Amino acid sequence: MRDNSSVVALVARVGEGDQTAWNELIDRYSPLVWSICLRFELSRQDIDDVGQSVWLRLVENIGSIREAAALPGWLATTTRRECLRVVRSARRSDHAGLPPEDQMPTDPGDTLIEQELIVAERNAALRAAFAELPDRCHELLSMLIDDPPPPYAQISAKLGIAVGSIGPTRARCLDRLRQSPHLAGVLGNDANDVEVSDAGR
Amino acid sequence: MSAVAERWDDDQLLAALRQAVRAREAVPPEFVEAGRSAFAWHNIDAELAQLTYDSSRDREYELSVRAEAASIRALTYTSAHLTVELEVTQDALVGQVVPAQAGTITVQPWQGPSEQEAVAVDEIGCFSIHPLPSGRFRLQCRTVAGLETLTGWIEL
Repeated sequence: MRDNSSVVALVARVGEGDQTAWNELIDRYSPLVWSICLRFELSRQDIDDVGQSVWLRLVENIGSIREAAALPGWLATTTRRECLRVVRSARRSDHAGLPPEDQMPTDPGDTLIEQELIVAERNAALRAAFAELPDRCHELLSMLIDDPPPPYAQISAKLGIAVGSIGPTRARCLDRLRQSPHLAGVLGNDANDVEVSDAGR
Repeated sequence: MSAVAERWDDDQLLAALRQAVRAREAVPPEFVEAGRSAFAWHNIDAELAQLTYDSSRDREYELSVRAEAASIRALTYTSAHLTVELEVTQDALVGQVVPAQAGTITVQPWQGPSEQEAVAVDEIGCFSIHPLPSGRFRLQCRTVAGLETLTGWIEL
């Protein structure tokens, strides 16, 4: 997967002490860690605790992660383990003041964690593809994903394009997005499709 | 999922993009910032010591101590080669390194490693840190024998 090969490149740069690459990794995967914590229904303080532990484990182990492409899976597993640690220590420490056992957050299970991982990877790939679009496409799609999207007249005024060309431009920009090498694996194209994979190089 | 995604039309792709951007926006900036700060630790080459005992998380111990005197919080961090035992007193963090050996202890704040607060560990492994460290920190222990251990994060 091209998307994962860019993860491999990031991990290699982090190994050489590149803080910018580290920041990119964090930006890319903090939504994964965050969403798994939400699955465990942790408090904000506990989420911060889990986050710290996960990032520290990552920074401490990044030199020894042999399969960099497996990093997202490693992060999901580590986050889940840290969430379980926090939930268990909360149970041990306080028998009063906590909701009854059956209302305590529990492990959401393999399937949900796996789902979070798939969604997070797809989202990360979409954001990476989106970030590389030409400015004009980026601006237009940014407005169109607003909720609710502004009327075409407003988009036209803001971006200086005719109302009649918004539709075709939208289609063209989404097509560019679809063609992004970041989405090669995610959108189900053959990972060995060299023509697509190398298009962005 | 891929087979379905392959046939995403424009509306579905736009919806997926919206979801992806929202998912990133939903993460608080401080959470991301904390992750970025963690990189300060990338050069630390020490063995990690896990929290193996914390009196504040052990109710029975807490009760037994309270019966005798003011409750003193005790923590134990264990790595493969070294154990660091800690007690929180009114104005200091006192501890002992086991097996007993001399060295230094450094308080490392979450913001990143610092070399400013090295405290001596005497030959029977005892040390005392004044005043009590505030905020989130970890202890880095270097012994004269060359062992390096880093505790997990502590907040008193």
